[in-house]
Amino acid sequence: MSSTALAHSLPTSGDALRFSFPRSTRPPHSVSFRPRPAPLHLRSALNATVSDTPAALSFYELLGIPETGSLLEIKQAYKQLARKYHPDVSPPGLAQEYTQRFIQVQEAYETLSDPSRRALYDHHVASGLHLAFAARRHSRFDEEMEDRGEWKNRWQSQLSELKRRSVQKECADDMSWGARMRRERNGT
Amino acid sequence: MALNTLSFCGSLRKGVGSDAHSNRLHGVDQQCHFSFKAKRSSSGICASSSKRGEYFSEKPPTPLLDSINYPNHMKNLSLKELQQLADELRSDLIFNVSKTGGHLGSGLGVIELTVALHYVFEAPQDRILWDVGHQSYPHKILTGRRDRMPTLRQTDGLSGFTKRSESDYDCFGAGHSSTTISAGLGMAVGRDLKGRKNHVVAVIGDGAMTAGQAYEAMNNAGYLDSDMIVILNDNKQVSLPTATLDGPSPPVGALSRALSRLQSNRPLRELGEASKGGSMHELAAKHGRGLMSGSGSTLFEELGLYYIGPVDGHNIHDLTTILARVKNTKITGPVLIHVVTEKGKGYPYAERAADKYHGVSKFDPATGKQFKANARTQSYTTCFARALIAEAEADEDVVAIHAAMGGGTGLDLFNHRFPTRCFDVGIAEQHAVTFAAGLACEGIKPFCAIYSSFMQRAYDQVVHDVDLQKLPVRFAMDRAGLVGADGPTHCGAFDVSFMACLPNMVVMAPSDEAELCHMVSTAAAIDDRPCCFRYPRGDGVGVELPPGNKGVPLEVGRGRILVEGERVALLGYGAAVQSCLAAAALLEPHGLRLTVADARFCKPLDRALVRNLARTHDALITVEEGSVGGFGSHVAHFLALDGLLDGNLKWRPLVLPDRYVDHGAPADQLTQVGLTPSCIAATIFNILGSWKSREALEIIFRN
Repeated sequence: MSSTALAHSLPTSGDALRFSFPRSTRPPHSVSFRPRPAPLHLRSALNATVSDTPAALSFYELLGIPETGSLLEIKQAYKQLARKYHPDVSPPGLAQEYTQRFIQVQEAYETLSDPSRRALYDHHVASGLHLAFAARRHSRFDEEMEDRGEWKNRWQSQLSELKRRSVQKECADDMSWGARMRRERNGT
Repeated sequence: MALNTLSFCGSLRKGVGSDAHSNRLHGVDQQCHFSFKAKRSSSGICASSSKRGEYFSEKPPTPLLDSINYPNHMKNLSLKELQQLADELRSDLIFNVSKTGGHLGSGLGVIELTVALHYVFEAPQDRILWDVGHQSYPHKILTGRRDRMPTLRQTDGLSGFTKRSESDYDCFGAGHSSTTISAGLGMAVGRDLKGRKNHVVAVIGDGAMTAGQAYEAMNNAGYLDSDMIVILNDNKQVSLPTATLDGPSPPVGALSRALSRLQSNRPLRELGEASKGGSMHELAAKHGRGLMSGSGSTLFEELGLYYIGPVDGHNIHDLTTILARVKNTKITGPVLIHVVTEKGKGYPYAERAADKYHGVSKFDPATGKQFKANARTQSYTTCFARALIAEAEADEDVVAIHAAMGGGTGLDLFNHRFPTRCFDVGIAEQHAVTFAAGLACEGIKPFCAIYSSFMQRAYDQVVHDVDLQKLPVRFAMDRAGLVGADGPTHCGAFDVSFMACLPNMVVMAPSDEAELCHMVSTAAAIDDRPCCFRYPRGDGVGVELPPGNKGVPLEVGRGRILVEGERVALLGYGAAVQSCLAAAALLEPHGLRLTVADARFCKPLDRALVRNLARTHDALITVEEGSVGGFGSHVAHFLALDGLLDGNLKWRPLVLPDRYVDHGAPADQLTQVGLTPSCIAATIFNILGSWKSREALEIIFRN
């Protein structure tokens, strides 16, 4: 079961992302990418300088992808931008800004590459992310109502994940007792 | 407050008599103050309510529920109709329990869940299990037993818990908690072995989750990976009641905190407020992190159950959506759906009460007032609590331990007086016993108050951790003997047998409340070995209590003779002594003077007393409200070894029969098992050979 838990946090691709994604914002020590031509919309992100106010950008804008971007697009964008903003390759004098941008890009990737986190993020963007600027005090009731509003998002994505796992369980070489009985029952 | 909705649709007239009809119109004219939270007002609510009442005083019509006898009648209902059905089911439950008494709060909390389960699944092929079973009344109503609800918890009536012999829809009998996941897993594995395709759904509460067996089951379920659904019914209620005498209290245990964390988005909110004006995506990045998998869900995930939730347990749409999706997913393995409900939901008095109307006697639905008969005397439970408080005042080493039963054991009183010396461990009897053993090692004097039938769960701990090491733990076993409406699952039939066979245990039983106070004192004084005492459910006989309920330690191993007589001796143990006294009183006017003795101790037995009785009487009858293998057997064992059976002595044991006694009124049960005074008298006549005399028959049948 632990392999599926990890699947939430690690990229599921088998290609050349050789470093892990720590929960902290420390940049990784070594990076290696397979270079690929950047798609058109990404080039604007690449060309953006760090002087563009990052606070105004959403994760999608930061990565330079549309909000309907697929996981592959997200990964590609991330790779390109990480390569660009990695502190080791930053122009002199801009190391600090580049590092900050790198961290932001990494956080954007972490959120958007996880389907359930992405769903939550999308929901908050749609509702204006007013929490960031909430000046009013939330009453306990408000909090509870907000909590309940979040619940539906959570379980909806959990149900999708369950479906995905079901398909995976069918194909996988699952040797649990239950899996063996299911195979017997289905005559496979 | 104005009435929310009042509609006079045709269906109303069908079900309601003309009197009620005119009342209804009258009520409208009067503008009765009726505050009723009608979230989803079902069409056709007839609000014939008393003034100032917060609920109906007459049962509203239930047209939809009337048309449903079994779950398959529900299959074509729309969502709106399901919601209406839930409302009708709720009022049906309240009105039924108001007439019979029983468990209310828990059933109210699972109305929507019950409707959703029966709508989505195909019982009885699909197995639906209810942990403990006290929340299964709505389930019973929907599965063909609605017409028998007036017989609930009565002799020959519906059981207050699930019971396999009662209905095909009750897959597994329950009464004690935390067994459902284990049983459900067994049913799932059995299904797999047999090649069947039905579903298995086990509903268990967050209180029951504090018991170890739930984890044993989940651990195994995760390993076997068989398809099954566990529904965690989380209403933040662990103990009964989840409140002290001083007001509501948080549920005991660390698990409840973890489950609460799962429900809240607090980390996000705190971040949001802390970083006002901070960068948007810094915040956004942080709020995605660590939120989806709260610290609790990983517990279930690590055990191998797929976690879904939290889910609003009173939203039928959400419930049916999720259940249907899970049902239709081909392979799931074990899935845990975390459903959040409110105990007592939908009945304002229950929602507000500290005990959420967990168990009620008959009550008035409109006002919520329970009809409690005024007891002449103190209950044994209260007497015990007061006696223990008195001991604790004198000795600061006395502490009390119970397993989520503060109300039932009376230790709520003890907790009120000594909050730091009362330990509620949650539903964990095994832990309670070993915990007490550990306390005893350090010189503390622990009193474990656990019902006789719940003590069964902790038996190995009693034997291995307490008795074997001769640790001075005191066991106070309430609900010994027959218990009436709760039935065999709560009946304390076996404690004498299983305690008295332990080498180091002192086993005693009081015959009245005053004796109970003395035995609490005796228990506190016994400091070199474990001891236990048992007392029944119900009220005492009304003897004078020692001042301040503080008893005096008895001499261990000494009984007493209450009535001096001849020819026949009745040696009673525990509350049965009262029946013996009553039997003697029955026979006295007819020239038979019986000797009545109170053994007080089963272990060590008062040998001198028994020898004396055996030598000076023709017949010796032992009476106890316990199974075979208990007090009577110990007496017989001694008589045999002492050679007292080698003469002309006639010895007879009166014990509970070798079968489980169904729920019913206590008086009915006693008659059934033959332990009433007249049954004892009948036994005496039998021995004396004079049972055919007219006099004898008169005495027996008149009483």
